[in-house]
Amino acid sequence: MRGSLVLVLVFVVMAVGCGAGSNDQVTRITVMVAGDPEEVEAYRAVVDAFDRSQEEVDAELLPFAERDELILRLSTSIAGGQPPDLFLMNYRYYGQFAARGALEAVGPHLRDSAALSSKDFFETAMTPFEWDGEQMCLPQNVSSLVVYYNADLFETAGVALPRDGWTWDEMVSAADELTRDDDGDGTPDVYGLGVDPEIVRIAPFVWSNGGSLVDDEASPTGFAFDAPAVVAMQRFFDLRTVDGVTPTDAEAEAEDLESRFLNGRLGMLMESRRVVPTFRTIEAFVWDVAGLPSFGSPASVLHSDAYCMTAGSDEKEAAWLFMEFVLGPEGQRITAEAGRTVPSLRSIAESRAFLDPDADPAHAQVFLDQIPFLRAVPVVSTWPEIEDTANGFLEEAYYGGGRALEVAVELATQTRDQFARAER
Amino acid sequence: MGSAERRILWLMAAPFIVGVCGLVVLPALGSLSMALAEWDLVRSPRYVGLANFRELIEDPVFRISLRNSLWYAVTAVPLRLVGALGLALLLHRRGRLQAAGRVTVLIPTVIPDAAYALLWLWILNPLYGPLNLALGAAGLPTPAWFSQPAPTRWAVVLMGLFQLGEGFLIALVARRQVREELLEIAAISGAGAWGRFIRVTLPVMAPALLLIVARDTILSLQATFAPALIVTEGGPPPYSTTYLPLFAYRNAFEYLRYGYASASTVVMLALTASILWLQYRLFLRWTARVRRSG
Repeated sequence: MRGSLVLVLVFVVMAVGCGAGSNDQVTRITVMVAGDPEEVEAYRAVVDAFDRSQEEVDAELLPFAERDELILRLSTSIAGGQPPDLFLMNYRYYGQFAARGALEAVGPHLRDSAALSSKDFFETAMTPFEWDGEQMCLPQNVSSLVVYYNADLFETAGVALPRDGWTWDEMVSAADELTRDDDGDGTPDVYGLGVDPEIVRIAPFVWSNGGSLVDDEASPTGFAFDAPAVVAMQRFFDLRTVDGVTPTDAEAEAEDLESRFLNGRLGMLMESRRVVPTFRTIEAFVWDVAGLPSFGSPASVLHSDAYCMTAGSDEKEAAWLFMEFVLGPEGQRITAEAGRTVPSLRSIAESRAFLDPDADPAHAQVFLDQIPFLRAVPVVSTWPEIEDTANGFLEEAYYGGGRALEVAVELATQTRDQFARAER
Repeated sequence: MGSAERRILWLMAAPFIVGVCGLVVLPALGSLSMALAEWDLVRSPRYVGLANFRELIEDPVFRISLRNSLWYAVTAVPLRLVGALGLALLLHRRGRLQAAGRVTVLIPTVIPDAAYALLWLWILNPLYGPLNLALGAAGLPTPAWFSQPAPTRWAVVLMGLFQLGEGFLIALVARRQVREELLEIAAISGAGAWGRFIRVTLPVMAPALLLIVARDTILSLQATFAPALIVTEGGPPPYSTTYLPLFAYRNAFEYLRYGYASASTVVMLALTASILWLQYRLFLRWTARVRRSG
């Protein structure tokens, strides 16, 4: 009896010892991301692949539904001394953390890396993530604003599909023909176009018309919409109140544009690559993607998210190992195949993983064709505030028939203090 | 009261006092000191004196938020009081129907704020929501909830009107304190229903009603947070339903301006205290007048 008790004790001690030993070898890191369920699934797939690819590091995904929630958790966890090791954030929002010294620059890691090289990435996506001349975060994608369209609705209305290099007027004309009131109740059942009245949606048309958003793109001190910018902004507002080809405020509140497109009641939708995993669930109609129409010179706005490492991370080496995987060929292939990203790595962006003709959208090449014409909005620490303020006034003007000139003055006035507080 | 008895009372109150100090007083003092600093939770705080308060005065968004919060308090508190009092008068008697009514009144109060807000997001959907569908079917105008400032502000008030369970409970208990003999004497003296209510019921219930008003005033300056964040998102744009709690939340948690946000909460605290003091003074004047006339 005593002998068997000793044996059991020895077994327990060995088991505990072995367990402790194996736990010590695994480094745990946390990664915060925000997105729709379909987007989060793509991130989960790449995290799982990373965990399977090696045994030293175990990555845990912390997903959030909204960017605001991620920022809330990120800032409070940094203040609490327990930040995540990594987080994924758009170039428009990481500045507030970079300016406050909350980030570990990835530039030195990148220069020492055998797996990644800066020249393998699209420069367009890399530049906005430089802070004080150092690469602060590494982009996973080089997405941009494009036009998704319901090909069946085009066919039904007998409208020609968007062509390469199409113009604003051609888009409005197509949207007008697609807008139709089936039941004759005076309210269109199908709208030709859907676009959110936001500064990042208006910006590419301002640039396309030869206008400017701010006084100095490198060190902006305020919005400075010039005459071409005001003209482009007015044409944008006209979509709702003059052309009548986009849903009204009440209709947009009742059903968001993405749902309206999914339900087959929107001819075109201006969005970034973000929506593709969700749109791949569409079975009721054929959809595809076209480049952004222009006012003359082609232009679009960069949509890029990057993995940033926190300065307070205790596991920077493990975090970098994770970045090497997710931003390397294998990781980028997984997220590209899930549809979520336009890969920031040239080799994957130009591979079948992204351009697969059997996967929607058929014309994924559109995203790559736009890269030479992409521009970024200013990267300053107070941009989230500036964008929120601007979007409020733009929404009011867009749905309420506001005049672009007055809105331009209003925006410059209302955001002056926010630009004055900005760090770059 | 003997000293032993007093000691026991202090001992019994101790857990509550410790809780209030730890969870309310200390954080409030922390918030006050934070209001005098510029702090983003990442870098060390920097003392800026009253600069945050000076900036608040100049900030048009803060002024709008303050105005919106005051409008909500002035509108919602009387309506909630009338609602709680009316329902208490209606449902204070014992009976199966009244019991079911009391439970129905209480249910919206126990629903978590986020779930309640999401429910209203559906109810108020301008095209597909049951409220506008019902109004449309009845041939009534359908307000543009979320699109027009006035209907959206009233929508937030409407959401608050159904969560008056706590005030209702207090009013219910207070109504049951009114002795039937007093009402009978008043009736014999020739007082009608309204006279009995004014002369007997209301004075007896008055302290409880003051409690409801005070509590609701405090609540009203905070209760707008979930509806404004989840349902209206502070709009329609630019700031139609941006109230002080949402202003503080955005500045703190979205823009990392914790010092500035704390300054706005200090203003909110001062505002609440001022309104409560005013209400108390008015109540004292009213009770003195009732005594003189009674």
